[in-house]
Amino acid sequence: MKPETNTPDARAPRGHPRRGPGRVWALVVESLAVVGTLMIGALMVIICADIVFRNLLGASLPLVSELGALVLVMIVYLQLATTIRADRLARTDIFLPLIRQGYPRLGAGIAALFDLVGAVMLGLIAWSSIRILEKDFSSGEFIGVTGIATLPTWPFRVLILLGVAVAAVECILRALENLRNPKTGVDPQ
Amino acid sequence: ETISLTVASSHPTVVPWVGMIQTHFMARTDEILAESGDYKIEWNEAFGGTLYKANATLSSVEEGITDVGWVFSFLEPAQLPLSQVSTNTPFATANPPVLLDVMEQLLESNDAFRAEWEDHNLKVLGLTATDLYDIYTKEPLTGIADIDGMKLSAPGVLGNWLRGTGANAVDGALTTFYTDVQTGVSDGALTLALGAMPIKLYEVAPYINRFDAGAAFSGAIAINADTWDTLPEEVQAAMIAAGKYYTESHGQDMVDRHELMLNLMVQNGAEQDPPVTIVPMPASERQAWVDMLPDLAGEWAASVDALGAPGTEFLGEYMQALRDAGETPARDWDK
Amino acid sequence: MSPVEIGTYGIIALILLIYIGMPIGVGMLLVSFTGVAMIRSEGVATRMIGAVANDSLREYLFAVVPLFVLMGLLVTVSGVGKDTFDVFERLLKRVTAGLGIATVFANAVFASITGISIASATVFSRVAVPEMTRHGYRKQFAAGVVAGSSVLGMMIPPSLLMIVYAVLAEESVGRMFLAGIGPGLVLALMFSATIILLARTRRGFVFDEAGDTATYEHISLGAVLHKSIPILSLMTLVLGGLYGGFFNPTEAGAAGAFGALVIALLRKSLGSGVLWRLLVETGQITVSVLILIMAATFFSRMLALSGVPRELAEFFLSGPVGPMGFLVLYLLIIIALGCLIDSISIMLIMLPIALPVAEAAGFDLIWFGVLTVVSVEIGLLTPPFGLSVYTIKSAMDDPDLRVGDIFVGALPFVVAMLVTLALIIAVPSIATWLPRL
Ligand code: NA
Ligand code: NA
Repeated sequence: MKPETNTPDARAPRGHPRRGPGRVWALVVESLAVVGTLMIGALMVIICADIVFRNLLGASLPLVSELGALVLVMIVYLQLATTIRADRLARTDIFLPLIRQGYPRLGAGIAALFDLVGAVMLGLIAWSSIRILEKDFSSGEFIGVTGIATLPTWPFRVLILLGVAVAAVECILRALENLRNPKTGVDPQ
Repeated sequence: ETISLTVASSHPTVVPWVGMIQTHFMARTDEILAESGDYKIEWNEAFGGTLYKANATLSSVEEGITDVGWVFSFLEPAQLPLSQVSTNTPFATANPPVLLDVMEQLLESNDAFRAEWEDHNLKVLGLTATDLYDIYTKEPLTGIADIDGMKLSAPGVLGNWLRGTGANAVDGALTTFYTDVQTGVSDGALTLALGAMPIKLYEVAPYINRFDAGAAFSGAIAINADTWDTLPEEVQAAMIAAGKYYTESHGQDMVDRHELMLNLMVQNGAEQDPPVTIVPMPASERQAWVDMLPDLAGEWAASVDALGAPGTEFLGEYMQALRDAGETPARDWDK
Repeated sequence: MSPVEIGTYGIIALILLIYIGMPIGVGMLLVSFTGVAMIRSEGVATRMIGAVANDSLREYLFAVVPLFVLMGLLVTVSGVGKDTFDVFERLLKRVTAGLGIATVFANAVFASITGISIASATVFSRVAVPEMTRHGYRKQFAAGVVAGSSVLGMMIPPSLLMIVYAVLAEESVGRMFLAGIGPGLVLALMFSATIILLARTRRGFVFDEAGDTATYEHISLGAVLHKSIPILSLMTLVLGGLYGGFFNPTEAGAAGAFGALVIALLRKSLGSGVLWRLLVETGQITVSVLILIMAATFFSRMLALSGVPRELAEFFLSGPVGPMGFLVLYLLIIIALGCLIDSISIMLIMLPIALPVAEAAGFDLIWFGVLTVVSVEIGLLTPPFGLSVYTIKSAMDDPDLRVGDIFVGALPFVVAMLVTLALIIAVPSIATWLPRL
């Protein structure tokens, strides 16, 4: 929840449903997160390789800074859904928990409303990103320098769009769960 | 009648061609409109990256996030392929006003070049160019052969200008050059006097090896086409005139300012140890440099041709237009 | 409504939504989208939210966020913090309240290899508090010392907060890092002075009645050296590489993470899935920070369109308030927000509004950034929401130690931070001397 909370066991992630559509969805969210997590390791390796090349062999590896930037954006959106699922987005924890204790239905309603706003905002981002993806694809947008090394940007855009869309759906599911089980809900933990 | 327009840029107004959007383009537009007094523009200014950063100058005007903005074509090689002609023909001209004239002329005569801008839902009003590139180093150079084995900071696409010289390009931007050179990430930088002066690059790289390595076309002031279509004809005419005035003033400004900045750096760095020194490079060294380069223009034109745009044809027109304007390119890239 | 009114109502709405408990990033997106839709049009707002989401995070510099976080997590699991504490305990065992001071300086040194305050709080609550209690310190005070000195983690480079500030203010990260060193050392000295002062004048607050009878474990000089090696090599790698010209900040993060990985592997701290868990944790922290940065970018663009920052600058700088009045008000608001919200969120809410004013006031933005970070960090120690205090509580898991006790124990350090803040305002060169060298 708080960006600085870093004890690995600080928050229990939401439970995994054992079967049914819930299980499949959890798998989708988790697989995206796994790709994102692997990318963090990859990012470290790419940058370290560049350091070694430049300091030992005197030459920069091509594409590193542009690729690093794009990979980072990918990491963020691929892990967005799982971060939302683990309720780790920064927020104040003072007022809403009190409402939920005193007035569970009202509290669940507010929590669901917040989830829906999140879904709408992420939905708008996804909608708007489709156009960006289309343009990058049709114009052959690339990073790098012609003649040295280039890489098309559209595959990255696809993953970004996918991550945002899955995160938007995750928000909707959270809202539904809050409305269905006002007492337990998903929020706060 | 008052028309409200947003004008924006990724760079701050201390950058001369951004500042001149205020002092020349906007001021002249206002001046022309004031003559009849029918229309008045209320400018909502968002300079200096408050609305978008350098990585989105084209799309922000295209999408109407701003009405008017400076589009940095250097960073849009995929969207504006033909506009990259000057960075891929190093040292073809060292005369910014002529370069701008030629680009202005091609924008009218070459349909593909104009279309690559207009297809992005914008109308070009004025053009911009860089001043001249030199090599800033910690130790003086005696000739271009000295950079063999050196690490030189250069922004993205200009890394190409070091191919074949034996120097290694360290990717960077104006914001990173100072620390990169200071800390030894690089031994110097390939950059412009206009960029080097404000970042005080001379403090860490006091030798300015003056190659006058040519100017490059850097972009345009453009207005979103949807906005453009809603403007009354009188306003459109005023903006077109103001844009022409801007381009012309900016071209001359680049020539004057290049000298001014070089002198200023020598002046500011006179007391430091070692003092800032301009190392003039004979034309033969510039020629040696350009002759070392691989066929950058040919490679580039072929890659643009492959995208379906007339790269080779445009390269020929560009070089011919320079020669027609009285320039003697250091290398005939089209031949 | 005029754009300025729209922007103003936007700020008010955002504060309300955050207070009720809407995720801060979502709140900023909502307010900004609505604001732009009203000022320009829905179409522009939709395109802008897409552009912000796709472009604003696309900076090589942001790769430092996961890398420094990963490094902090790795050194936390590999026991480097305990070694650092042992070394300082040995060095300071003859000094009044030496263990308290050892905790402060061990934190200062540990700070130079981690970019997040909470790493320090986690490590030292498990290492320093038991040892201090064993030597007759009151548990409440011991926890307060750990909470207080954990803020050094963000002052002394590397620092996630300094990176975030550098990004928003377009200052060099390297310089912001250097700017934190002076204030960080001043803060460490202030904390030590506070501890000595309390030990001399208010013994009951510091020590239990029994007094210190426990013996110190004997650590040989060789062991001291041995324990210093990992942290010294990481420091040399990260800061030496950064200022010695081998790395830019992003690369320093990558090299630091890699170095920490090597240390963790050598110490066999990464058994059964620990590395994967740390990577997952790194990912979630990264997402929550960067999503905030993305949303704050949209918020500041909406504000730029609304003209609110311009009006604010005019109000503060040409009116009776003046630049100094603005600065004091700004710092007070930050400290007040610190009672409710976490550090990075505060910076991302406040800086889009305040930076244009600070710039117009002609402030040195490096100095302004240091003041911002110090006052933001005060929030780690103030109730009801004090992240350092909560971290210590959950890391110690001791039913005898209530959250309220830790807040009381940390109070003297809040005062020390306020004094330091005043000192940096009065003597800006504490912050600016090193980076402007
Ligand atoms: Na630190
Ligand atoms: Na607090």
